[in-house]
Amino acid sequence: MSFLPTFLSWQSAALAAAIAVPALLLLYFLKLRRKQHDIASTFLWKKSVQDLQVNSPFQRLRRNLLLLLQALVLLAILLAYARPVSFQTIKPGAMNIILIDRSGSMQARDVDDASRLDEARQKAREIIDAMPRDARAAIIAFDASAEVVQSFSTDRAMLRRAVDSITPTDGPTRLQTALQLADAAMAIDPAQLRAGTQAADIYILSDGRVRDADSLSTFGTVRYIPIGNPQTPNLAIVALSARRNYESPTDVQIFARLANFGPDPVRADVVLSISPIDPASPGVDQFVTQQVRQTAQILPARWTEDQRREAEKNGITARDSVEFRVELTTAAVIRIEHKISSGTSANASNITDALPIDDVAHVVVPPPKPLSIALVTEGNYFLERAVSALGAADLKILTPDQYLKDVPTVHDVIFFDRIRPTQLPEAGAFVYFGSLPPGTPITQTTDVQSQLPLFHTDETVLDWKRDHPLLRGLNIGRLFIAESMRLNLPPEAEIIIEGRQGPLAALYRAERRTHLVVGFDLLQSNWPLRETFPYFLFNTLQFLATSSELNLRESFQPGDAPRLPRSAVSRITPAPESITLVGPEGPTRIRIDAPGTAQTGAADIVLPVFRRVGLYRTDPEIPSYERLAVNLLDENESDILPSNTPPGSVGTMIAASGEEQKQRQEWWWWLIAVGALPLLMIEWWIYTRRLHA
Amino acid sequence: MPATEPLLTGDFMARLDRLDVISRKILAGKMRGERRSKRRGQSVEFADFRNYTIGDDLRFIDWNIYARLDRLFLKMFLEEEDLSVHILIDTSKSTRFGNPDKLRYMQQVAAALAYVGLVNHNRVSLAAVSNRMIAETGGMRGRRRVGQMLDFISNLEPDAGPTDLGAAMKRFALTAQGRGVCVMLSDFFDKSGIENALRYVAGRRFDFYALHILSPQEIDPDLKGDLRLVDIEDQDTAELTITQPLLDRYKANLNAWCLSVKQYVTRRGGAYLFTSTNVPFDQLVLGYLRQRGLLG
Repeated sequence: MSFLPTFLSWQSAALAAAIAVPALLLLYFLKLRRKQHDIASTFLWKKSVQDLQVNSPFQRLRRNLLLLLQALVLLAILLAYARPVSFQTIKPGAMNIILIDRSGSMQARDVDDASRLDEARQKAREIIDAMPRDARAAIIAFDASAEVVQSFSTDRAMLRRAVDSITPTDGPTRLQTALQLADAAMAIDPAQLRAGTQAADIYILSDGRVRDADSLSTFGTVRYIPIGNPQTPNLAIVALSARRNYESPTDVQIFARLANFGPDPVRADVVLSISPIDPASPGVDQFVTQQVRQTAQILPARWTEDQRREAEKNGITARDSVEFRVELTTAAVIRIEHKISSGTSANASNITDALPIDDVAHVVVPPPKPLSIALVTEGNYFLERAVSALGAADLKILTPDQYLKDVPTVHDVIFFDRIRPTQLPEAGAFVYFGSLPPGTPITQTTDVQSQLPLFHTDETVLDWKRDHPLLRGLNIGRLFIAESMRLNLPPEAEIIIEGRQGPLAALYRAERRTHLVVGFDLLQSNWPLRETFPYFLFNTLQFLATSSELNLRESFQPGDAPRLPRSAVSRITPAPESITLVGPEGPTRIRIDAPGTAQTGAADIVLPVFRRVGLYRTDPEIPSYERLAVNLLDENESDILPSNTPPGSVGTMIAASGEEQKQRQEWWWWLIAVGALPLLMIEWWIYTRRLHA
Repeated sequence: MPATEPLLTGDFMARLDRLDVISRKILAGKMRGERRSKRRGQSVEFADFRNYTIGDDLRFIDWNIYARLDRLFLKMFLEEEDLSVHILIDTSKSTRFGNPDKLRYMQQVAAALAYVGLVNHNRVSLAAVSNRMIAETGGMRGRRRVGQMLDFISNLEPDAGPTDLGAAMKRFALTAQGRGVCVMLSDFFDKSGIENALRYVAGRRFDFYALHILSPQEIDPDLKGDLRLVDIEDQDTAELTITQPLLDRYKANLNAWCLSVKQYVTRRGGAYLFTSTNVPFDQLVLGYLRQRGLLG
């Protein structure tokens, strides 16, 4: 925040100066076209001129005074032409709330030795230093969430310490929580309750890339101070997926998409490394580079369509995705990282990629485990056909007697068709069609008098959980059920299909078992005839067997608090009392409550929030959750081009093209132009005085 | 130069008739004339007595004293001789400058002086000088020679080339016959230094008058702006921007220079007369020169 102006178009002014200054000098030093005049003898004149030069000590200077003045006038005009602007100096008020962005993008390094967070901290210190006496400030750090690092205080040393204590996270940027915190901080401040006190000044030190720009509001006066250099390059992996081919499970396909948030097109090598997850040596990751692909030119994301077309015309083929295919016989962690191989970037500081956290992404590929299914039925043509079509490696169709004779424990999922088993394996996933799980609070409502179970008749679907992995992408709105059980569900059961008269399907987890109850006989509905049915079964199989979607394990983002399904944890014997999560920030120990003791009961185990990207592992290794990949994979966060407008257009911006600066610009222009006028007049006066006075 | 106009009008000549050239020094003439001479000689004015020595002319013995004192004394009388009047006219090109023209003015003044000289039976010789002796006449006497004198003067033309009066004056000093009044008319614009020229004439030999004639344009230049001044003698140029300090400095320099010429001349017993060409020449001759004692 310098008082001195900076020049917006100094290049053109320099060009103008390169022409105008030599021209002025040339004009000045070119021989004057003098009027010729005959005289009797020049010797007295020459003597006089000589005398004047000798007698006046500053004769040379006086001789050049006009040139000097002309040069000054020219300089003033050129300065005005260079569009000087001065940025408004921060003048903090009596109440200041400093919001510091500590999200992932703030780790970008515009210069070698300082990240944007360092710059933001520096700016924050400047604001603190510029505060008037007795002014108070609060410090709030925010990423996906927000945290009051220092509540209102006049102690500058403490404020500075608070600013220095802010560490970066890899999380996304959400501003609303921070603004709410700021509002809350103002509200609880006694000074704010007095009449006539102004709302606090809220300084947002951020690169302005926030996800919730549409929903921002605050009572304070927001001043946005953009951090970062728009020319800083960054190549990011913004999408990554890996899936096993269902037909040949050892074949893994990996897709990665890159985005270039720098100013120039770049070409990068994408390196694929694989570290198998070996149950024999847990906790050891050894990545071996398997394949390297060179991408085509990746055009800057900031380019307009016209620029892209222009680039295509110039023969640049732009592609931003790479695809790998590898053979994996075990569970493994796949690491994708890019290395910029060539760029036209002429960045002075030789930074080719400012943000390292989006250069690497991991994906965990589960083992090519053939699924094992059992169907217990007395005969259901539709269900048998549908289950057989799932393509499971091991399918057993049992009669209830066969089942009870030898309760199987090896199957991933057991389907019960209109049969309520009396015994269940210790752990596993069970699906009931038209029956109820034993030993659970799920019951069928009975008639009070006759004690007969009650049914809903002519039931249709009212709503269903459209984003649940079981039902994702399915439209079951036209399902018709002739007769469905009146289900009596405990509160912790998750209803996934709601009928007009009552719940139709629910997910319930208890101890180490997962139950999916579908409260009607399939043969009493038209569902088996609809195309959604096989999809539903497929999803069910995937969800219950691997507790994940398809063959891709969940990838987490910083800021996520992942849930471990109780069913996955419960597969470990003996049941652990705690889980240690080992990540880039070190190990974290999580206690596991005994199931059913706390109100969380049999629900999922919630892990602490991931603050950094990288690969996490669980100890002891939880099946299917041996490794947890936390990737940025966030175009908003990787886009390190600082925003030119305040986030959500709330408040004003300082130190770039904002309203205040425009006024300043005109003011400077005026000052210089007005300064040139007296110079011109002085020059004229000196000239005439010399000639005539 | 308006050559049609006669140098001297009849009316003016009539007024000049009453004047004579006066020498502040008593100088030896060549012939017996109307002017008192240093030499004792035959005139009516008694000068002194001295003892008779053998061989003296008996006609000048004062017999009355011999009768009283019985000793022979010789009466001595003042000799009367003619006066040489040398008039030097600077015809260098610089004299063509100014309005009125300096050369024309000099011609008029020279003609007036020469007329006075001739009318009073003085031996008048004229010479035009520049960087060399351009033209000269021998001694002229008597009213009869007025025509010849006027012809000579009116035919003078400015000479090309730079003024170097030194050589011309040296030649004049060597060849001039007799002593007498020497009047020099010039602007004294001599880049090699006028002292070099004046030392030949501003001595004991001549009753020297320096008539310094400048044009009003030289005394008070009416110049403005950025000029390229060209010396009309040697085409030397001076590029300057006329400013008031420069004009002031020029005038101061001009005064100092005139003063230096004057000092040089007067220290050697000469007389220095400064005039501008806008002083009417008849006024100069009839008033100014009479006041300064050249004419009387």
